[in-house]
Amino acid sequence: MIRLDNVSWRRGKKDNGPVLANLSFAVPQGGFRWLLGPSGAGKSSLLSLLHIENLPTDGQMSILGKTVAQEEKRAALVRLRQRIGMVHQDYQLMPDLSVADNVALPLRLQNRPEDEIQDEVHAILKWVGLGERVDVPATRLSGGEQQRTAIARAIIHRPGLILADEPTNALEESQACRLLDMFAELSAMGTTVVVATHNESLVRRLERPFLFLERGRLVEEGGERA
Amino acid sequence: MSRPFSGRKDGLSLSEALPDRSLFALVAMMGFLAALTLAGASGARALSARWSGGAAQLLTIQVPDADTALTTQNGPSATTTRVQAVLADLASLPEGAQIHQLTPPELARLLEPWLGETDNSALPLPAIIRVKLPPDTTVPAALEQTLNAHVPGTIVEHNARWGERLRALANSLLACAGLALLSVGGIATMITGLATRTGLATRKDIIKTLHGLGASDSYIAGRFAWRTATLGFGGGLTGTLVACPPLLLLLQMAAPFASAPQATPERLLPTDWQALANTIPPDMLCALAFLPFAAAFICWFTTQVMVRLWLLRLP
Repeated sequence: MIRLDNVSWRRGKKDNGPVLANLSFAVPQGGFRWLLGPSGAGKSSLLSLLHIENLPTDGQMSILGKTVAQEEKRAALVRLRQRIGMVHQDYQLMPDLSVADNVALPLRLQNRPEDEIQDEVHAILKWVGLGERVDVPATRLSGGEQQRTAIARAIIHRPGLILADEPTNALEESQACRLLDMFAELSAMGTTVVVATHNESLVRRLERPFLFLERGRLVEEGGERA
Repeated sequence: MSRPFSGRKDGLSLSEALPDRSLFALVAMMGFLAALTLAGASGARALSARWSGGAAQLLTIQVPDADTALTTQNGPSATTTRVQAVLADLASLPEGAQIHQLTPPELARLLEPWLGETDNSALPLPAIIRVKLPPDTTVPAALEQTLNAHVPGTIVEHNARWGERLRALANSLLACAGLALLSVGGIATMITGLATRTGLATRKDIIKTLHGLGASDSYIAGRFAWRTATLGFGGGLTGTLVACPPLLLLLQMAAPFASAPQATPERLLPTDWQALANTIPPDMLCALAFLPFAAAFICWFTTQVMVRLWLLRLP
């Protein structure tokens, strides 16, 4: 689960204004939350915070039951980060690696056996519709293919928390629907899912609770959005 | 068609990120300098040991007018020359002392640099007697007085005084070699640091992505460190190997200082390289063999520290 109590985060010096201010909310294990708000509201910053790319400058935050704070040991944060899957808006694929190697990365960093990795990678790439593109370098993929590769990489290690920043941007509608179904399925299986999006039709398609941010503050937290 | 799973496991592609050739070449140069310095240090240490051990037990005695009859209170001796009288007096030295009067050819070779062909010289040359005392014995305090009273004009030169000075010189050379090695190590550290910084700068985004995927500091630092250590080992090995021929030449040239005078080389290049190689002191060989590993360790350690410090900016 995720719990934030009065969490703020500011970039750089202390006298800089907070990018995120006094956020308090909780998402239970297996919960799904849409993260909504206009551009610049702080959605990506909140996802970075939940992905432990940044640490809260004020307040208390716990992810998957573990406290995340400046004084936590780095090794503990590394282990926690391995339990989170993140789909970045800019995909963040390794340009020198093939689709298969990109997707295999989280498992390799966990030192899984190579034959097990290859089976898992082939299965998930087939599922996201990239079964025929396994050996293509990431730089030669289209935007949609890169996004699907990033999604496959985020979920291959069955993380306890999935964070996605505009995951359907470059996807066709049918693929976007498949992805939403998959997120709903993962959530039903106990994985916590937080998805940031601008896409209102997507939100209407999968009615789930939401968090609405504006200028770094949580202005609305609600049940299923109509 | 490329394979779906390549040998590239994490996308860091360090063979492209780190400036391989420059790091390899610069470490090779440092290895070359370190090899020469180590050889110098080893030579200085050997000389210091030799001079402090051997020279302290050596005496050189000069007897002017050596073949002149010894003058006693009763007038010139009909049977004993001055040098024979000195040799007779030296017979009272501790047991085991080696006494050797230089033969005319030995004397000629000794003075050749100054006097040229001494056989043709009209200069009256003194007799030179070399005395080597057994270890742990001392020169009798009154030896010079006794010899002078008996054979006036005899000069006793105790090499220990020179030995002390030469030992001090050798020790200062040793200190210089140590400082030179430290400097070489420092430069290698800086070179590795710069190469690592370049690698970090070019792979910044990939490292951040790996970090986000759960790569530990030790994994990322280890990947960089093994790369630089490999380059450092290769560079150190190359530098050491390149230094070997000049070292053998220097060894050949330094032979007169390290062994008996008759070993003076007649040609610059030795005829038997194998025999010359066999004369390399074992400690020098060990130091040279250790050099590539030392270079690898410096590169590995520097990179580990630099990468871990850099990673501290990420949570």
